[in-house]
Amino acid sequence: MHGYALAKHIKQASGDLLQIEDGSLYPALQRLLREGLLESEAGVSAKGRPTRIYRLTKTGLRQLEHEASSFHKMFTGITRVLAVAKA
Amino acid sequence: MQWLAQLLSRRRRYDDLAISIQEHIAERTDELMEGGMPRVEAEQAARREFGNVGLIEQHSREAWQWQTLESILADVRFALRQLVKSPGFTATAVVTLALGIAVNATMFSLVSAFLLPHLSGRDPQSLVVVSSFNSDQPFQSDTKPISPPNYFAWSANKSLFSEMSAADENRTGSMSERGKQAEAVSYAAVSANYFSVFGASPELGRAFVTGEDLQGHDHVVILGHALWARRYNSDASIVGRTVRLNREDHVVVGVMPADFRLLGFTPQLWIPLTLAAMDRAPDARKNRFLYLFARLAPGVTLKQAQAQMEILAQRAQGDFPSTEKHWGASVRMLPDFLVRNFGSGPALALIMTVVGFVLLIACANVAGLLLTRAVSRQKELAIRMSLGASRARVVRQLLTEGVVIALVGGGFGLFLTYIGIRLVRTGLSFDPAISAVPVSLDRNVLLFAAGISLVSAILSSVAPALRASRTTINTDLKSETRGGTSGRANNRLRVFLVGGEIALALFLLIGSCLLIRAVFLRDHQQLGFKHDHLLTARLVLDQARYVDSSKQTQFVRSLVAQLQQIPGVKQAAVASSLPSSGPWNIPFRIKGQQETQSNEKYTAADAVVTTDYFQTASVGILSGRTFTDHDDATAPGVVLVNQEFVRKYFQDRDPVGKQIQLDITGTPLVWSEIVGVVGNVRNYSEDPNMAPQVYEPYLQRPVASFSLMLRSNMEPDSLAPTLRHAVEELDVELPLLRVMSMDEVIDDQTNGNPLFEKLLATFAMLALVLAAIGIYGLIAYSVGQRTQEIGIRLALGAKGSDISRMILSQGFKVAAIGSAIGFVMALPLPKIFSSIFQGQVLFGAPVIYPSVLAVMLGVILCATFGPARRASRVDPTAVLRNE
Repeated sequence: MHGYALAKHIKQASGDLLQIEDGSLYPALQRLLREGLLESEAGVSAKGRPTRIYRLTKTGLRQLEHEASSFHKMFTGITRVLAVAKA
Repeated sequence: MQWLAQLLSRRRRYDDLAISIQEHIAERTDELMEGGMPRVEAEQAARREFGNVGLIEQHSREAWQWQTLESILADVRFALRQLVKSPGFTATAVVTLALGIAVNATMFSLVSAFLLPHLSGRDPQSLVVVSSFNSDQPFQSDTKPISPPNYFAWSANKSLFSEMSAADENRTGSMSERGKQAEAVSYAAVSANYFSVFGASPELGRAFVTGEDLQGHDHVVILGHALWARRYNSDASIVGRTVRLNREDHVVVGVMPADFRLLGFTPQLWIPLTLAAMDRAPDARKNRFLYLFARLAPGVTLKQAQAQMEILAQRAQGDFPSTEKHWGASVRMLPDFLVRNFGSGPALALIMTVVGFVLLIACANVAGLLLTRAVSRQKELAIRMSLGASRARVVRQLLTEGVVIALVGGGFGLFLTYIGIRLVRTGLSFDPAISAVPVSLDRNVLLFAAGISLVSAILSSVAPALRASRTTINTDLKSETRGGTSGRANNRLRVFLVGGEIALALFLLIGSCLLIRAVFLRDHQQLGFKHDHLLTARLVLDQARYVDSSKQTQFVRSLVAQLQQIPGVKQAAVASSLPSSGPWNIPFRIKGQQETQSNEKYTAADAVVTTDYFQTASVGILSGRTFTDHDDATAPGVVLVNQEFVRKYFQDRDPVGKQIQLDITGTPLVWSEIVGVVGNVRNYSEDPNMAPQVYEPYLQRPVASFSLMLRSNMEPDSLAPTLRHAVEELDVELPLLRVMSMDEVIDDQTNGNPLFEKLLATFAMLALVLAAIGIYGLIAYSVGQRTQEIGIRLALGAKGSDISRMILSQGFKVAAIGSAIGFVMALPLPKIFSSIFQGQVLFGAPVIYPSVLAVMLGVILCATFGPARRASRVDPTAVLRNE
């Protein structure tokens, strides 16, 4: 996926709940690239303009699963605590 | 290895990033256009949404960088480019700082060499020196040597000191092997464990062993490296061979390496110290000549040792009140003792203060330059900030420029330091104890230079950087060059800097002039005798050949006769001490006068002289007669006294015919008649006061150690070979010491003063020049800034002279404020110097203050004059058309 599409995807998929600032998207992408979690290659956008396509690497995928599960755990934890608090 | 790959692929990453972002914006534009927006508007909107492209790219790139390091490198690169672009500014700033740094580093090399003696050998932390102190003693009262009985008592205290060695460091003797010229050497007599206490071992042979400090086994010697190299051509087979010291054969057992050296002590060789039974007697307590070097016992701290020694010293005071009264003992770490004993601290501290001020002035100058530059770069800075640079970032960039200037200046300064150290080293060759200390560009000096470079970078660039970064983007971008853009705050800072510089420079100038004048007055006072065309030398008659006084008298008689035969010599004389070279002080009584209390004894300087002494030295006979050849051991005792003696003890009444009794250790008390009065001669060439003095005839009280004087019409030095020859004819094994002209003797005593004067003068001049450059820069800059204003004034009818006056008065206002502050700061200086140099300072009439002030203002006037003239010649039409 290329940069603009990524930003748009996040916005749409989250139903406008999440919006990534363009100012932080690109630095974040570069950091992921440096960590080896992403890889990039030359490609063309949907409009046929040259751009760079970003794709998760295997390590990236594993990292994503790991983060997702730990995020899930944390989220569950928070929900439970809040539930107890309510009760 | 990954980081390397990243580093190499960075260029491609950056390109990728740029393409991604471009496409991002393009796609957004398309989208907006699909929504019906015209292209131009859509493009603008897309960019606005995205934000600052440059900044985001920058932030994204940072993921690949060692961020701080790289941005610093970029700053440095930029700073270097900027500096290369304005060579005039760069050269001025760099040279100014280089000079400031170089004088500091050069002087610090002295501090490093003299005040930070390098510890070596094993466990330097436990190496201490035990010395005695007596606050009644005038010079170096707290680093006095120790008497043998105390050494015996204290070295036995094994719970305090695990090892203790004693050394008689200041002996002189002669070396006289057959076929070699007899040579005077200074040497030390040391106990057998001396070298092992220091943890030092010989480079050849061995150290002394126990038993060699017993009489009969003590004819062994360890040579110092320098003597071995010079006199014995570094011959390694010297060990085991015999050399002749003090007319006796000694076996060389070792050679010490060149780096075995104690600050202030210059023995050329070592012999074992033999102490006899009489050195244990109570009477020997008077002879304080031993330096005690010791190792603290394990677990004993310096404080404990100090406390214990005080108790021991008090016990000795109680047991032997007649000799030990007022004498205490102290324990110091070796370097601490050496530095104190050497006593160069105050002068070095003073010089370091002076050069510190010079550096401050240099920094103020560079700060002024940077401010000027910052003003002309205001637009550049405004652009940077409008493009998203934070204030901290701009400050950092400006600081980096300051650091780059300081480092370049420091590098150049180090080069100058290298030259400076060489100059100073040649200037220091007047004293063997001083020239033995290696002054060099060592690690300490390098670190110091680096340190002060950074400090001066910060000092000179912080204020300008903070000032310059306080830019208001809008006004700065809009403003044209017209008008006085520098702003009031900016000018105030500059005025403050230059005013401060002038104050410091004036303070320094006055201080230096005061000291230089004091030194000059001291060195050029009337001594009371004619010191030109006198050749002098010192002789020490050894016990081996000149056993008793009759032998000594005999030698001196034939010596004087021999000397008078030398062609070109008018008079020759022998004296126990040369005039103005520090005679002994002795107590005495006057016959018929009431005994005063014992602690209020009369004292006078005492010299033993031969018949022609007064004629040779050109000291006037005021009344009575001088000594004759008949005043010998069989004749009644006679003495001569000086005018000051008559004034102080006879209230100016004629003393001729009166009798006095001199109390000299080791000679019987006899009454001597005063037969004449001679003129005053200063006891020391630098002594501000005259002192009472007594002269005794050599034939009545021969001494073994004396100086000789030859008066001639020729250059004194040209007589030296014939003098040597004459003495050789009398005794081939007797070396002549310190063959030099009387003028050299005096120079030698005021040791280092010429160098000290020169250094001070150089630094003060440097300060003056820097301050002048500072004020010139300030005025020239403000004229440049005010060209338009001046043009308008001229166009409106002001005359050229009005303009010059305006500019001059601006310069003078700063100068007046700065000078006033500096002047007030300098007022208490004479008091401060007197306390630093313990009352040895003479100050002339207070002409220094007004004259230095006048010079300073004159220099400032000259510095302001150029820019002021330029201002009056501004062509109004040209300037106003230039708008």
